[in-house]
Amino acid sequence: MQQQFNQMAEQIKEAAVDQKTLQIVGGGSKVPLKNDAELLSMAAYSGVLSYEPSELVITVRAGTTLSELHQVLAEKNQMVAFEPPEYGNSTIGGTYACALTGPAKPFRGKLRDYVLGTKLLDGQGRELNFGGKMIKNVAGYDVSRMLAGSKGSMALVTELSLKVVPLVEEVTYRIEMPECDAIVLMNQMAGTSLPLSGSAYYRGYFYYRVMGAHPKQTNRVGVEAVDNSIWQILNPFKPVLQPGQKLWRLDVESTNPCIDGTLAVGMGGTRRWISSKNKPEHPYVTLWDDRFLPRHNDGKGVKKIKQGLKKVFDPHHVFKDL
Amino acid sequence: MSVIEALKNALPKASVLATEEQCRPYECDALSAYREKPLAVVLPETDDQVKQVLRICKAYQTPVITRGSGTGLAGGTLPLKNGIVLGLSKLNKILKIDPLQRIAVVQPGVRNIQVSEAVRQYGLYYAPDPSSQIACSIGGNVAENSGGVHCLKYGLTVHNVNSLRVLNMDGEEYIFDEKDDGVDLLAMLNGSEGLLGVIVEIKLKLLPKPEAAQLVMAAFQSVNECAEAVTAVLKQGIIPAGLEMMDKFSIQAAEDFAQVGYPTEAEALLLCEVDGSHDQVQVDAKRVADILTAEGAYKIIVSQNERERVALWQGRKNAFPAVGRYSPDYYCMDGTIPRSKLAYVLEEIAKLSKKYGLRVANVFHAGDGNLHPLILYDANKPGELAQTERFGCDILNLCVDVGGTITGEHGVGVEKLNSMCHQYQGAELEIFHGIKAVFDDTGLLNPGKAVPTLHRCAELGHMHVHHGELPFAHLERF
Repeated sequence: MQQQFNQMAEQIKEAAVDQKTLQIVGGGSKVPLKNDAELLSMAAYSGVLSYEPSELVITVRAGTTLSELHQVLAEKNQMVAFEPPEYGNSTIGGTYACALTGPAKPFRGKLRDYVLGTKLLDGQGRELNFGGKMIKNVAGYDVSRMLAGSKGSMALVTELSLKVVPLVEEVTYRIEMPECDAIVLMNQMAGTSLPLSGSAYYRGYFYYRVMGAHPKQTNRVGVEAVDNSIWQILNPFKPVLQPGQKLWRLDVESTNPCIDGTLAVGMGGTRRWISSKNKPEHPYVTLWDDRFLPRHNDGKGVKKIKQGLKKVFDPHHVFKDL
Repeated sequence: MSVIEALKNALPKASVLATEEQCRPYECDALSAYREKPLAVVLPETDDQVKQVLRICKAYQTPVITRGSGTGLAGGTLPLKNGIVLGLSKLNKILKIDPLQRIAVVQPGVRNIQVSEAVRQYGLYYAPDPSSQIACSIGGNVAENSGGVHCLKYGLTVHNVNSLRVLNMDGEEYIFDEKDDGVDLLAMLNGSEGLLGVIVEIKLKLLPKPEAAQLVMAAFQSVNECAEAVTAVLKQGIIPAGLEMMDKFSIQAAEDFAQVGYPTEAEALLLCEVDGSHDQVQVDAKRVADILTAEGAYKIIVSQNERERVALWQGRKNAFPAVGRYSPDYYCMDGTIPRSKLAYVLEEIAKLSKKYGLRVANVFHAGDGNLHPLILYDANKPGELAQTERFGCDILNLCVDVGGTITGEHGVGVEKLNSMCHQYQGAELEIFHGIKAVFDDTGLLNPGKAVPTLHRCAELGHMHVHHGELPFAHLERF
């Protein structure tokens, strides 16, 4: 593996000299490939480097598949709390690059909340280490969390240290009701002490998931216990669309009223999946056209900061732009 | 016109403090070992005034040290002789509370505890609870990414902030929101110690107040046993809301101070709080007590009601002032280590204590590995502060050497600049300087804090020299 690491560093250094663009790719399931970029494959750079169940920390190579990660953790009755979506052979590196989090986001937090440290190769092929394996670390800028969502545009992240949590038993319930009522109810429930780990609306039903010991729910009128499969249907969400329609992901405030064309409401109301021909009018819209397309909706100032950071990490512009 | 005159012209009279008497109270934060009187202190009352201050300071090339309540423990708001202190304590309004959405929008000068008090009526609270929460400001919490007793379960400040409105040195406004795409700038602003921007508005995440909480106190005959017991609790799948450990000196001091019934003969004391729904808490408290007994605790007390729970916490919560009574001064360190290394690290600290001839008490956030050794010293004895600083630095280096970090929750400030050279090499530090320049190309925002200059690390002998080639050879080193 050290040899492969060195080869990757060399590939970056050569690309800098040859003024070539590299596209980092893991399982290749999420971000579209650029035709004019040379691939830098991470798929074989995989495996668990260290795992301390009692410290609640695992360190893995970025090419490690989610299935391997889940399996290793499950053996010790632990899990990754952010429930990354599985797009088919997804790696933890790609999931981190796209900052993808599942249904528990409003309750247990998102992917970057569980990132403790990273090892990376910058655009000059230099090996850098940020953060660490500690749950608490406030030494220096939090580069490890900052790079979550950077989609391979700034540096090659080769290793990740993640905080893990105990595997919990979860039970799903559902209630039949209109979407607008469900949005209010999911917000109201999230303000109670019920230990929720998911709430969503899909095809006429409000679904909620509760972890651990909790008050009996089926005593409530209209509440029925169902299996947990709904969370896999919504994460990742891959509906069959009508011809001419596109799938859009909207990130909204949890109390945002119903939106026309909504196929599903997820993450406690903060995520709306919309089917429409044209881009919905909203500040935080992502086109989900088989793959994850960046938004490019930053204001001028933020854009300038991101461009500046890109130069800091990748001065020779080796990695592809977002 | 001087910068002070320009500030006086632009702001209400009471907002600019420039006399010796007025500036003295601002010469240090809670790390009083370092002091410097600033050029002036400005206390704006509105966002627009903050913008004006920044523009004026930029025009006069005057450094700006942003300060909240001044409770920082690493000298992060230590003034500069030629700089102004931008105090945000008058920006102290809670602008919006939305109980349904579970958010509060606040100005930076709002005190941490005020948020929970304001939303209590809705059954909500703001989770991060640094020990200074009664006084410390939310803006400062964001700048330092503060933690607290409950952060193992509920996270640090970064996990509980949804959005920030920030001004740069030109007074231009930026919003960093959790919904943003691409690199996570919101995450990076947390813990950036006032070097990247001035925070003027914060949207906080609120959590439902747990239905119930129970505290298990357990006494152990050895530190090692206690550390092992913590590991066992976490391994069994319980994430306590609070998990605190004290050594013998701290136990005795705390009991002497607060008389809460801690067993003073114990070598180590563990306080483990579980919270959640009534059902869950009942299950967890019993499991924790069983696990701790099986791991060798010789005395266990489980709080039976809220009064008992609060009473048992009193000793731990007062541990710092309690230890402080044994010495004219004390210096609180903040390193984080893997829990498995705790017994070793405490042994090494005891050796260092003998070497330097200074007493140490250890209080430990056991759940997340955050160690707070309190070094007792007397600032009036010549050379004792310098000895204390060397001792502290040795402890932090030890934390890094066992795989930990130099600061868990206090920040680097000026206190840990040397230790940063032990944790980070030249290339990482160069990236940090690059990040700073992107946000603040003037270098006027809190200069000299948090990230050491490269020549400082070279002087300390920690510069990474690869194959005999010194990186950044063009940089002057002196």
